Amino acid sequence: MFWGVRLGSVVLAVAFCFLLQTLALQVESSTDLPGIRLFALAGLYVTLAVSLNLINGITGQFSMGHAAFYMVGAYTGGALSNAILANNPSLQNPAGAAIMMVCGGIGAAIAGLIVGLPSLRLRGDYLAVVTLGFGEIVRIIVINNQPLGGSYGMNVRPKFEFVWLIWLLAIGVIACSRNLLKTAHGLSFLAVREDEIASSAMGVNVTKVKVVAFVLGAAFAGMAGGLYANLETLITPNTFPMDLSFIILTMVVLGGTGSITGSAVAAVVLFYLPEQLRNMGPVTGAQLAGTTLALGLMVYGLKKLADHFHGARSKKTGLMIGVIVTGALLSFVLGLGLAAAFPELAKRSFEANQLRMVIFSGTLIALMLLRPEGIFAHHEFSWSWVKSLTGAKTPKTEVSA
Amino acid sequence: MSLLQLNQATIRFGGLVAVNEVSFKIEPGQLFGLIGPNGAGKTTCFNLITGVYTPTSGEILFEGKPIQGTPANKIATKGIARTFQNIRLFGALSVLENVVVGGFLRHKVGLSQALAFLPPAIRETDALKAEAMKLLKIMDLEEVANARSRDLSYGMQRRLEIARAMATQPKLLLLDEPAAGMNPQEKEELMNTVKRLRDEHGKTVLVIEHDMRFVMNLCENIVVLDHGEEIAQGPPSEIRSDPKVIEAYLGEAV
Repeated sequence: MFWGVRLGSVVLAVAFCFLLQTLALQVESSTDLPGIRLFALAGLYVTLAVSLNLINGITGQFSMGHAAFYMVGAYTGGALSNAILANNPSLQNPAGAAIMMVCGGIGAAIAGLIVGLPSLRLRGDYLAVVTLGFGEIVRIIVINNQPLGGSYGMNVRPKFEFVWLIWLLAIGVIACSRNLLKTAHGLSFLAVREDEIASSAMGVNVTKVKVVAFVLGAAFAGMAGGLYANLETLITPNTFPMDLSFIILTMVVLGGTGSITGSAVAAVVLFYLPEQLRNMGPVTGAQLAGTTLALGLMVYGLKKLADHFHGARSKKTGLMIGVIVTGALLSFVLGLGLAAAFPELAKRSFEANQLRMVIFSGTLIALMLLRPEGIFAHHEFSWSWVKSLTGAKTPKTEVSA
Repeated sequence: MSLLQLNQATIRFGGLVAVNEVSFKIEPGQLFGLIGPNGAGKTTCFNLITGVYTPTSGEILFEGKPIQGTPANKIATKGIARTFQNIRLFGALSVLENVVVGGFLRHKVGLSQALAFLPPAIRETDALKAEAMKLLKIMDLEEVANARSRDLSYGMQRRLEIARAMATQPKLLLLDEPAAGMNPQEKEELMNTVKRLRDEHGKTVLVIEHDMRFVMNLCENIVVLDHGEEIAQGPPSEIRSDPKVIEAYLGEAV
C-alpha cells in the first residue's frame, strides 16, 4: 500500500513535468512568447523560493544571499559542463544535465558550509549580514576572475532545454520540504525557529539543525543554478545581482513564511507578473490615474473589512469579493470620468512597459498591507483549509495514539 | 552516589556574583526544593545545571561525573530536563508537536530517511507521537492535543512545559516556578501530579517555587538561597523555623 501510493505519486509528478514540457514547446511554437524559457525559469524560481523557505521559513534563519548559492551552482555546473560535456556527445542528454545539476548542488553546498558553519553558531541577525556580504563577495570574485569570463560572463555548452528536469527538481524540493515537516526531524527544525534556548534544553543540537538546513537550502539553489547554466548558455555576474536575493526573499515572505505551497505559488506569480506586464499596450493618463485611485480605495476597503468585520467567514469572503468587483468597475468608470473631466489626462499616454516595475512594487505594497502574514500565512494548501475560508466547518482531526 | 551534586558552584557576571559557592546534593527519588527571594540566584542555578551557563568555578556532578561546560543539548541527553520560569513553548507548534520535540533526542533514523519519507522515519514519528499522547494524558492535556500551544491558558502552558520536559525521559526534572499564575485548585492538582511523577515514574524533582505552602508540602529537602549564597538547607520543618531564613525570606514563621 505504502509503496503503491509512493509509486503513484512519483509517476504523477513525472507525468506533470512532461505535460509542462509539451506545453512549453506548444507555447514556443504557436506564439511569439519564449515558451521554454518562461516555463523553465518559473520552475527554477519555485526551486529557489522553496529552498530559501527551508532556511528562512522553516528553520527561521534570516539568509539574504540566496542568489549567491544559485550563482555558485551555475558557475560550477557551467565550468564542468564546458570541461566534460561540451566535447562528449554521449553525455549531451538528460543524464548529463542531471550530473551538472548535482555538481552545481555540491558546489553550492560546500559554499553554504563555509558560510554557515561560523555564522550559524551566533544567534540573531549575524547570518543576514554575513550572507548579504557573501553574495557580493562571490560576485566580485567572479568579475575579477578571467578564467571564469570576468564581467563578460561565461559561455556554456551544450544548450539543454529540459523543462521537465527543471520541474522535477522543483517538485523534488517541494516533496523534501513536505516530507521533512511530516516527521519528527522537521519538528526539531521548527522548534529551533520558535525558541533556540528551549530547543537546546530539549536536547536538540541547535547549531547542527541550522547548518543542515542552511546547507540543504544552498544545495537546492545550487542544483537550480547547475540547470540554469545549460539553459541560458551565457552566465554573467550581473545575472545574479543582490536584487535577485531580495526577489527570492520576497517570494518567501509574500507566500507566507514557512508555507511551502505559499512560496511555490508566490514564486510563479512574482515571476509571471513582470513578464506579463511587458506585453501590455500603451495606456492613457486618465486610465492610469483612475485605476490607481480605484485600487487605493479597494485596498482601503479591504483593510477596513479585515479589521472591523467579525461575522461569519462566508459573509466576509462574500463582502471581500464585492469590494474587489466594485473596485474593478470603479477603475473603469473613473478612467472614463477623468478623461471627460480633464482632457489633458486623456491625451497623455504611457507605455505600460516603462511602468512595469512601478506596478510590480505597488502590487507588493498592496499585498503586504492587506496580508502582512503572507498569502498563505503559515498554512499549507489543502482542501480543508479552502473550506475553512468559505466558512464550512472542518472535521476535527483525531490524533492516532 | 548522589544523582546531582553541586560543589561550591560559583558564577560571576563581571563584578556581580550571581551564585556564590553553592553546594548541595540531591539523592535519587527526592523531591527537592530551591527557594529564596527574587534575585537570589535560583534560576541562575538552574542555568548552571542545564548548561546554559558554565560556572566560573566549582563543580557540578551528575551521577558522579562532572557536567560543567557541557553544551545544553548534551546535558538533556544525559538525563536532565527543565521547564522555564518565563514559559518557552514552541508557540506555533501544536501541543502534541511540542511534546514530540521533547522526545526527539532519542531519534535513531537519519535525516535522509526523513527527507525521503521512508517507512522507518514514519514509524519513528508515529511512535514518538504515541508516546507524547501518553504524556499528555498524564498531564491532563489530551483534549487540546491539536491546539496551537500559544493559544492555551497559562496553567495549561505550564503543564505542557512539564509534559515536554518529561518526554526527554529525564532522570532529574527541574521545574522553575511551575505553580506561578495558577489558582489554588490548580496548584493542588499540580502538587499531586508532581508527586505522581516521582512515585509512579521514578523521577527525581528539583523545584523552584515561591508559594511556601506548595514547597513545604511537596518537598522533602529544601535549599534556601539569598544574594547568591546558600543560607540554609534541610527538611521543611527545620527551614520553617530557621532564623536566617525567616529574616531573609519568610518574614515570619509560616
